[in-house]
Amino acid sequence: MAKYLYNQEAVANLKLSDMSVLDRLVDFESARAAHLKKEHAKKDKRMSLAEAVSTFVQDGDVITDAGFSYVRTPHQAFNEVIRQGKKNLQMIGAPNTNQSFFISYGCVAYSHNSYSGAEMRGIDRSYDRMLKAGRVKILSEWSHGGVAQGFKAAQLGTPGVFSKQMLASDIVRYNPYLKVMQHPLRGDHDPVVFVPALYPDVAIIHCHAADKYGNAYIYGPAVNDLAVAAATRKLIITAEEIVPENDIRYNKKGSIIPFFYADAVVELPFGAVPGNMPGYYYWSRQWWEKLMRFGGASDENMKSFLDEWIMGTKDQFEFIDKLGGAKWIAEARRQTKAAEGDNEDIDFSYEEYTLKHDSGLYY
Amino acid sequence: MQDLNVPANPLETLAYIIAQQIHDHSIVYIGTGIPMVAGILAKKTHAPNITIVYESGGQDPIQGDMPWSVGCPFTWRKSPTIMEMSYSFAQCYNGYVDIGFLGFAQVDMYGNVNTHIIGKDFHKPKVRLTGSGGNNDLSSLTENMVLVGLQTPDKFPEKVDFITSVGHLTGGNSRQEAGLIGNGPSAVISPWGVYDFEPVSKRMRVKTLTPGVTFDIAQQLTGFELLRPAGEIPETKLITPEALKIVRTEVDPRGVFTTMPTA
Repeated sequence: MAKYLYNQEAVANLKLSDMSVLDRLVDFESARAAHLKKEHAKKDKRMSLAEAVSTFVQDGDVITDAGFSYVRTPHQAFNEVIRQGKKNLQMIGAPNTNQSFFISYGCVAYSHNSYSGAEMRGIDRSYDRMLKAGRVKILSEWSHGGVAQGFKAAQLGTPGVFSKQMLASDIVRYNPYLKVMQHPLRGDHDPVVFVPALYPDVAIIHCHAADKYGNAYIYGPAVNDLAVAAATRKLIITAEEIVPENDIRYNKKGSIIPFFYADAVVELPFGAVPGNMPGYYYWSRQWWEKLMRFGGASDENMKSFLDEWIMGTKDQFEFIDKLGGAKWIAEARRQTKAAEGDNEDIDFSYEEYTLKHDSGLYY
Repeated sequence: MQDLNVPANPLETLAYIIAQQIHDHSIVYIGTGIPMVAGILAKKTHAPNITIVYESGGQDPIQGDMPWSVGCPFTWRKSPTIMEMSYSFAQCYNGYVDIGFLGFAQVDMYGNVNTHIIGKDFHKPKVRLTGSGGNNDLSSLTENMVLVGLQTPDKFPEKVDFITSVGHLTGGNSRQEAGLIGNGPSAVISPWGVYDFEPVSKRMRVKTLTPGVTFDIAQQLTGFELLRPAGEIPETKLITPEALKIVRTEVDPRGVFTTMPTA
C-alpha cells in the first residue's frame, strides 16, 4: 500500500483520527489489481439484482452515486443495497444527493460531500440532522467539478490532474485529498490544485440497454458515469432491457460503457423509478416533494416514508404499483417524451404535494 | 395561466434585472432557479441568439417547460450534444462561456459565496446547506459571474461562514494571486438593488437601487459597509409590462420559479 501525504490542514479541520479510511479512494495499485483480476473474457454476466448486490457490494466499500440526483440514478438497485443491510459504506458522487437514503438506514457512514439536496425543492434537512447527530462523518468536501476531474483522471489513466477549481476556497481546507501547489512548468506565481485520480470500490450504473456481456448504452446526460465505469473496482450494470450484442454494435450510437468494466449485468426495467429515465419515464414530482417536505420535517417522518417505499416494497414493480401502476407508467412516459420534444407539448401542471395537501397522486 | 393584471412581484423583477445582464450572441451558463427564468426571458426578448448551457452538459436546448433541475430533460431538449460533467466545466476554463449566473445563501463584501453551512462550526452548524455543487467550479473559472439572491444582513455578512466559491477573496488582486481564472463576480443582484465591485478595492458597491429603496435602506439590509458610488444613485429599471407578460405567458406560466413562496 502506498503512503499518502494527506492535506493535514484538512485532516485537522475534519477531525479525522484514523486516516486509513481515506486510502481506498485513491489507492491506484489495488484498483489496477482489481481491474486485472476481474473477468476479461466476454462472458454472460447476467444475474439477479439481489445476487449482484450481495456479491459485489461489500461492507466498507466506497460506493458512488450515479446519474444526476434523480436523473438516470439506480434508485431501485440502491433500495436493494439498503434492504440487504450493507454497512459502513463511504459514498461519493457529483451530485451526492442520494447518500441520505443510505445514511437513514445506517448503510453509509462516511460522506465525500459535493452536493446534497433537491435544487428548487429545497435543502436536505434530513442530511442536516443526521450530520449533526453524528450518523455520518464527512471525509472530504468537493465541488462537482473536482469530483468529476478525479473520476476523469482515473479514466484518462493518470495519477491525477491539476485544476484551477476549488483554489483558495474553504473546500481545499476540508479535503484531505487536495494539495495546492505551484504549476511545475511556470516560472511566475501560478497556484494549482492537484486532484488525485479517484477509484471507488463499487458503482451501480443504470443504462438504457445492455448486452449480456455488459456493453451498456446510455441515452441523455452521461454526467460522470463513463469515467466512473472506468475507475471503479467493481461495476454493476442495471439496464432497462437486455439486447443482443449486435443491437449495441449496429444501432446504439452515443455513450457506451465497454463490457470489460462490468462485473454484473442486471435486467432491471424501471430501475430509475422514482427518478427520471431519459426517453423512458419522467420523475415522480410528488414523490420527491413528499420526501423533501414530509420526510424532511423530522426523523420519524423520514423513517415512516422510507419504510413505506423502500422496506415496504420488494422490487420496482411493487414500487410502481404504489405510484399508480400502469396509469403511472403511461403518464410518466408521456411526460418525459413531451419534455424531450418527442411528443406533442402537454400541460405540465400537476397537484403539488404540500404538508397541507396530499392528492395521493404520483403523476 | 397567471393573472396578467397583478403587479410584478420581486422574483419577476429579479428575473428581468438578471436578463438585462445578458448580451446577445453570448454563451450563458445557467444555474438552477431564477437564472433559468432570466436566461429564457433574455432569449425571448433582447438576446435571441444566445446559447444557454447547463451543468448537465446540455448545450443550446430547444426551449420547453421550465427546467426543475440542471439535469432535467428541458436542459438538454434536442441538444446537438450533451457534454460529460467534467467537460461542461472545462468549457468555462477554456473560454467558451461568456457569463455565468449563480445563487448563494450568503455573499460577503468581496463577493465570496457560501452554500455550505450557516454558523461558524463546521461540525455543528446551525444549518447544513447543499455544499458546492457546481457553484465553486463556475466561480473559479467563468470570465464574468453574476450572483443572484435575497438580501438581508444575514445573507450579506462581512465574512461568509464558509467560502464555497471565491469571488474577490480579500479584495485588490487577491483573486488573481490565488490563481483563479476569470474576472470574478461583476454584479450581485437582489430584489432591492444591483451591486458591483469597486475596481481597486473590489468591495461591494451600490450600482442601482429598486425604486423606493434608498442607500440607507440598502445599508440596513447589509451586514457590512456598502460603498456608495459618486453622484446620484440611479434607479434600477423595473420589468416592463411587455416583459412581464412574456414571463407569465411563455417563460414560466406555472410560476415554478416566479411565484413568491408562501409561509
